[in-house]
Amino acid sequence: MSRTDITVEICGMSGDGTIAAGGLLNDALAEAGFSILAFDSYPAEIRGFGRCITRSRITGTQPLALSDKTDVLISLDDKQSISRIPILRENGAVLFDNHPPAFLPEGESIAAHVGTEMQLFGVPFGDLASGASGSLRGRNLAALGAFASLFGVQAESFHQAIEKKFGPKGEAVLDANLKCFDAGFEYGLKDLDDGSDGLPKLERQAEGSEASLLSGNVAIARAALDAGISLYFGYPITPATPIMEYLAKELPKTGGKVVQMEDEISSIGAVLGSFYAGKRAMTATSGPGLALMTELITHGVMAEIPAVILDAQRGGPATGLPTKTEQSDLHAAVYGGPGDSPRIVLAPSNVLECYQFTLKSFQLAEKYQIPVILLTSFYLDNRVETLRLPSRTETDTGDWNVYPDDDSKGNYRRFEITESGISPRALPGSEGFIFTTTGLEHSERGIPEYGGDNHMRMSEKRHRKIASALPDLPPPREFLKNEKPDLGVISWGPTFGTALEAVEKAQEEGLSVAALKITSLFPYHAEAIGQFMQRCGDILIPELNFQGQLANLIGHLHRKEVIRLNQVTGSPMEVGTIFDKIRSIVD
Amino acid sequence: MTRKADPIQSTRAEDFDYMKVNVPCQDACPVLTNVPAYIRAVYENDFTLSYNINLESNLFPGVLGRICSRPCESKCRHGEKELGKPVNICYLKRAAADFRDRQVPRETLIHHRISKNVAIVGAGPSGLAAAHDLALSGLSVSVLEAMEKPGGMLYYGIPAFRLPRAVLTEEIERVLDLGIDFRPGIRLGKDITLAGLLKDFDAVLLATGCYHPRRLNIPGEAFDGVFSGLQFMMDLNSGRPPRVGKKVLVLGAGFTAFDCARSALRLGAEDVSICLRRTEEDLAVTREEVLEAKREGVRIESLMVAKTILGNGNLKRVEFIRTRPGLPGTAGKREITTIKGSEFVLDADTVIAATGQGPEPIPILDERTPEGIVTVEKGSFRSPVAGLFAAGDYVTGPSTVIQAIAAGRKAAAAIVTEMTGRDCRERVVRIEDTVTTDRPRTWDFLPTLEIPTLEPMQDRFDINPKEVELGYAEEQAQTESKRCYLCYLHYEIDIKRCIYCRYCIDVAPRDCIKLVKRMTTNENGAVTGFEETSVWRDVNGIIIDNSRCIRCGACMKICPVDCISVSKVQLLERPIGRAEEA
Amino acid sequence: MKEEHFIIIGMGPSGTKAAITLRKQAPEARITILSKDAERAFTPHMLPDFIAGKILEKDLYPYDPSTWDDLDIHIRRCQRVTDVSPGNGHLLLDHREVLRFTGLILAVGGRPQIPEPYLPFQDLMSTLKTVKDAKQWIEKLEGVDSVLVIGGDLTSLAVAKALLHLGKKVFFLINEDAFWPLRYDMDLMRKVSERLSQGGVEVIPSGKLGGLFRNANGKTQVRIDDRTLQVGMVGTFFGLAPDIRFLARSGFSMDRGILVDEYLNTGFEGIYATGDCAQVYHPGLRDYWVSIGYENALNLGRIAALNLAGRRVQAKVSGESIFKVRGVNVNTSWWVEF
Repeated sequence: MSRTDITVEICGMSGDGTIAAGGLLNDALAEAGFSILAFDSYPAEIRGFGRCITRSRITGTQPLALSDKTDVLISLDDKQSISRIPILRENGAVLFDNHPPAFLPEGESIAAHVGTEMQLFGVPFGDLASGASGSLRGRNLAALGAFASLFGVQAESFHQAIEKKFGPKGEAVLDANLKCFDAGFEYGLKDLDDGSDGLPKLERQAEGSEASLLSGNVAIARAALDAGISLYFGYPITPATPIMEYLAKELPKTGGKVVQMEDEISSIGAVLGSFYAGKRAMTATSGPGLALMTELITHGVMAEIPAVILDAQRGGPATGLPTKTEQSDLHAAVYGGPGDSPRIVLAPSNVLECYQFTLKSFQLAEKYQIPVILLTSFYLDNRVETLRLPSRTETDTGDWNVYPDDDSKGNYRRFEITESGISPRALPGSEGFIFTTTGLEHSERGIPEYGGDNHMRMSEKRHRKIASALPDLPPPREFLKNEKPDLGVISWGPTFGTALEAVEKAQEEGLSVAALKITSLFPYHAEAIGQFMQRCGDILIPELNFQGQLANLIGHLHRKEVIRLNQVTGSPMEVGTIFDKIRSIVD
Repeated sequence: MTRKADPIQSTRAEDFDYMKVNVPCQDACPVLTNVPAYIRAVYENDFTLSYNINLESNLFPGVLGRICSRPCESKCRHGEKELGKPVNICYLKRAAADFRDRQVPRETLIHHRISKNVAIVGAGPSGLAAAHDLALSGLSVSVLEAMEKPGGMLYYGIPAFRLPRAVLTEEIERVLDLGIDFRPGIRLGKDITLAGLLKDFDAVLLATGCYHPRRLNIPGEAFDGVFSGLQFMMDLNSGRPPRVGKKVLVLGAGFTAFDCARSALRLGAEDVSICLRRTEEDLAVTREEVLEAKREGVRIESLMVAKTILGNGNLKRVEFIRTRPGLPGTAGKREITTIKGSEFVLDADTVIAATGQGPEPIPILDERTPEGIVTVEKGSFRSPVAGLFAAGDYVTGPSTVIQAIAAGRKAAAAIVTEMTGRDCRERVVRIEDTVTTDRPRTWDFLPTLEIPTLEPMQDRFDINPKEVELGYAEEQAQTESKRCYLCYLHYEIDIKRCIYCRYCIDVAPRDCIKLVKRMTTNENGAVTGFEETSVWRDVNGIIIDNSRCIRCGACMKICPVDCISVSKVQLLERPIGRAEEA
Repeated sequence: MKEEHFIIIGMGPSGTKAAITLRKQAPEARITILSKDAERAFTPHMLPDFIAGKILEKDLYPYDPSTWDDLDIHIRRCQRVTDVSPGNGHLLLDHREVLRFTGLILAVGGRPQIPEPYLPFQDLMSTLKTVKDAKQWIEKLEGVDSVLVIGGDLTSLAVAKALLHLGKKVFFLINEDAFWPLRYDMDLMRKVSERLSQGGVEVIPSGKLGGLFRNANGKTQVRIDDRTLQVGMVGTFFGLAPDIRFLARSGFSMDRGILVDEYLNTGFEGIYATGDCAQVYHPGLRDYWVSIGYENALNLGRIAALNLAGRRVQAKVSGESIFKVRGVNVNTSWWVEF
């Protein structure tokens, strides 16, 4: 595999087609066999007032995190792009429109801000688009064309991506877009050979790649489909809404239904109702929605009803920062709600795990008759990665419910206290199995019962049940180079990918560092984590929340205070930030 | 400007001012040729119509399409800095002349015959233009010409490889066929007197041009081998080619100098240099002319002035002195000073001094014509002597062919007015509804088409002079015509219906649509400027700035409330009484 | 903010020297160098040595990239000036940015020119101006045994030397147009011929280039008068024509180069020209001259900067070797080179 590793950024004003261009770039390079990790940021407004940035990391092997520095900046709007120059590598390349419609005073062109060692390529995007298609709308495509020829990407890769996106919009639209791309490509070949020799070339890696480009949200939605859900109930909230939108299109094709409820409370209620009746269902929300769901989640715990809830974390608290990323719902997910209400909480760290853990959630929810909360984040939900989805198996749609044997017919105790803590669950309407279910504390038969001994026993059973789930949960994963590292870095969610890259970088420089990935937040693998911590000198826990919520959860397992690295800037953590912190501790 | 269903023929001052700014090519043309209309005709493959539009204004399209100085092209909107190169307006005129129907209908009289007669002295472009207009106005016209052939500088000053004789002759014949009494071989002051003419004719128009070569006034000027540029060309064009040596130095910077240099090569010279007082930057000839001259092997030396011609009766060498150019003076030309002590010498066996001409003095009439040159009131063409008029280079000094034609026509109008008490020509701005441009934006990026020239180089030096510029082919002409923005289109926003969505500004290809606080107008009511603002509160209107507009139509296409209108606005300059073409 | 902004157009030896000198003279001013190329500042006269393999590429670059940051000089590369408005004190870049300046030094150098009669053959002619050109020469020379050099200027002689060093067979066609600003004559031609022949070059004294085409086996066939040569490649060195077309409408007095006085001033206050693009009348020489050679470029750059900064320094004609042609002095380091 090649050592290609470049990050391309497209920056423009909303309305410039920045996001569309980023999508085409990702598609084209994925088609050419590269591995992509891409993340866009854009304002809430549709037109005219905000900066849109797409960032794509393009490598030969699957990247774990975004790069801290950009290698190529394509500017569709100089005023916005100028602010991105500090992120550009010292010898990075800038592509800009060198024929704007009006004269610019000094400093308003990006050309005035380019560093001494940076390479500047001027391409008249606007004129090329006008010349090829008669309108300025295609200037983003002309820019992509010039980029493609400069960096040695075959036009064919882009043509396929353009056909996929614009084909459905009709012959005329497709033609105009292809013409604009080709105009930019031609220009790059003919007029831009000064200095382009030194640029990395993105030559085709594979013929017809089988990898798909998926965002976290789409991976989750696909997993839900593959898990065979019958129903989805939800209420729109950034950044989880795309899941509902995707399922609204796809779920009916399998005979299922998507229902938009009046709020999050009714959403979780309906999910519980669906699972109670034996059908898989799901809801996805964000922090504020999770808070609304809390009481009914604990109802699920008390009444031992399965549920799958996705919390796509965003900046908080309260309405917080809806379009920014954060990891600050750990406390709420693990502890939220009245009473002793343990539930399963999982945290995927990349798009593949989004898919895998969603599938697993349904299995765990059914087997352990418990709500399962999946914690993702804005960054993970919206970022796009190339991956090969595992093929569906029987186990995915299979039924993980634990049903009662026939000999309990006629004498069925719904909440029987068993060795594992799991009480076999009959579905309502099963002949010979009559039971009651309630959110009140209850006896083994499900009849409300407030006696002190009962409550003690029932609480103990419920807790034992959860503890028994541990072997079924994804265990922590170690990344060690030596037996006794000076420093162990523990993280969760997408921050882990960034941390691992920082740790690998430190290991290359000879520092004694290791990493540990946590994906099961509750219950957590105290023993395995503890053993890892034993081996390490210090422990560093970087996470995107202010209080150090993972540190609060597992910090006690270490013999001394863990070192926290907390960031709530709304942006994903940078490799450099973690690396510098590692350095400062270990050096 | 208001719009009505029928075309409006406006004579309002503000509309004339509008045309100056909005159709700069036409405004730059001394005879106000309707450039966009004739280019559009080429696009529509109607070369005859294109030719006729030219005929109406400039009378000699085939000739001008080859040798005009093209004041229109330097003003062409497509030639603005960031928009590219100007449209090749002149080459398109030539294409119209090359591809039109060969039969040109004979022009008819505009008015009845008037029993007055006019004598025009000089059959150059100025005289011929005046003769044409006077004949069509019903007067009896006699044209007296000192040389054997009509045409003046066109025949005698310009070499055949730039202007083939056949083209020139055909267009001159067309004018003379209007019943004009052409009398060649008659020189004023020798064969006939001015007093005599004034007695026999109701009016006399002097259009004798500038044939008095300016002397160098340096020692040795009279040596064998030293020619004046004009004499050189006249002899050549009269069928008496001058003898040139091997090493030729041409002094001068105008078309005559280049014509002499290139002609000298064709007459067998091996080493020809044009020696300039200033630099190549300051040459008045077209870029194509300079390029072709260099390709033929002419060298251009600069910053030198001839000081002395050396030899003994026969030219052997020329002494030059270096010059230093200063900043441009009031007339636009740079001041030059010679640099003391910088003399140097170049060998030569032929020197051609093409440093300009002046008008020839004629025998003094009376004290009203000092130094023998008749002067006229500026703009009126009238001299102090009753019935005596003058026009063209004779009055202004050497200028260009198109300016001479304009002067001739204006002088003729002045004469007719004098005779009949009436105006005979009018100007009108014609405004009509039209559909938006059918030009796709992609045409604005078509590269300019170079004119094909005769290759290989050896063919140009044939015994029989061949035309160097070959002219566009029909398809080439059509392609080049696509580049014209058609500035006769006028796009306007109805502010009362505009919702200020500003989509038009988003799609505008340049800063042509503006949010303005205030507009300024001149005394005629024409818009002269805008005070733009980006403070929303101060915006009082949204305006298409027609001086920046390239007539792409994008604004009109995108306007969601359809509040942008388009009309066709043309400046027509024509004889009064000529029926309007449908 | 009435800050002084000095702009230097051109990042060759003259322009860079001017910038550095200017920084010493005006520590507070803002200084920007504009270059239309992507390449770093390099030493042009060393290109033939690079081709000959005598030096490495890194030896071509006299300035560390950090030099400019240290001196607080803003370098803008790949940015071409399309228009200068001396009266208004601003210039226009090709991407339509308008820069204001309080002082301007034009150091745009020249581009290898091909005279009009040879233009039809230009695809088969190799010129030498940039590092990229030099690398193309090196690449081409690997597969070539013989080279025809057409020229007579400094560069052509240095390249001939380099080619001899590489063991190539060298033909040299002396072309009178190549000698500007010197005026060509028989005396000069003889001297050049002798020197070249002594070095092992086959000199073709003078002839009309009739035709140039590539034949089937990749060699270039050249017709000079009635002789036909077959060579591996053709290099042409007709001197550098000052690259000043973009100034055509600016109002500067221009001939072959930008006309300046002995103080290198263009006639507009605060605007100077230096290096290969400046044409100055020098009373000592009694003629116009254009500096040729590296040392002159540096010297003139320094002088232009000093004058811009307010000092009054004349551009002196001095150098290790003065070459006399018909009583006229020309500053060149020709003979020392060869």
